[in-house]
Amino acid sequence: MNISVETRRVDDGIAVVTVGGEVDVYTAPRLKQALLDLTDDGTRALVVDLNGVEYLDSTGLGVLIGGLKRARERGETFRVVCATPRIRRIFDITDLAPVFDLDATEADALAKV
Amino acid sequence: VAASPLVPEIELTIPAQAEFVGIARLAMLGVASRMPFSFDEVEDLRLAVGEACALSIERLNGRAAGDTLTLSYRIEPAALAVEVRSPLTPSPAEATETGPLADVLIRVLMDEVTTEDQPDAGLRVIRLVKNAPG
Repeated sequence: MNISVETRRVDDGIAVVTVGGEVDVYTAPRLKQALLDLTDDGTRALVVDLNGVEYLDSTGLGVLIGGLKRARERGETFRVVCATPRIRRIFDITDLAPVFDLDATEADALAKV
Repeated sequence: VAASPLVPEIELTIPAQAEFVGIARLAMLGVASRMPFSFDEVEDLRLAVGEACALSIERLNGRAAGDTLTLSYRIEPAALAVEVRSPLTPSPAEATETGPLADVLIRVLMDEVTTEDQPDAGLRVIRLVKNAPG
């Protein structure tokens, strides 16, 4: 499976999910499970780093939307790191860029949580 | 080295399962690279064909293990046309949350998109066309 998903704690209640490779109709369930694993486990801020992602389709976007909705329902922070123009463009085309809190780097995102 | 003549049409049949969509995208890369598309346009084509396959698979929703998708990549004089043919189902799966997003992506990325049901052939055909630059 051409995707990598790694979760790490950077601070109390703050988690970073680093994603690499291709997020598509086949691999997106792995990202979805990683985000679900962080639900109701004390995480109050979640950063999803997509800077290692080479391909993102609507299924991957759907998983991110699901993560954002769950976070908002719980009053948690959900930020997405995306500086790759090719991937950022997909957020723009679908008018989702303003919906997510997009940052260029993980450090930028962590500074805001 | 003389340029080899363009191959007019390539056909690919894959199982209607998510794990095989990457093969359809890979074939798209190979065909589009034979035409004067930019890197971004080739990526647009890869994404659009992947979305068309994903939509077809989601509609079938694991209905039958033997279902297949047949893709035709046709190099036309001024465009690349791709058809994704899938079995026509009497009661398609319920729409998913990502279906509308896939539709938006395909329509923005391609110059022409049509979906046609062919009851006699038992097929739904999604046709994507990307005009070649120049």
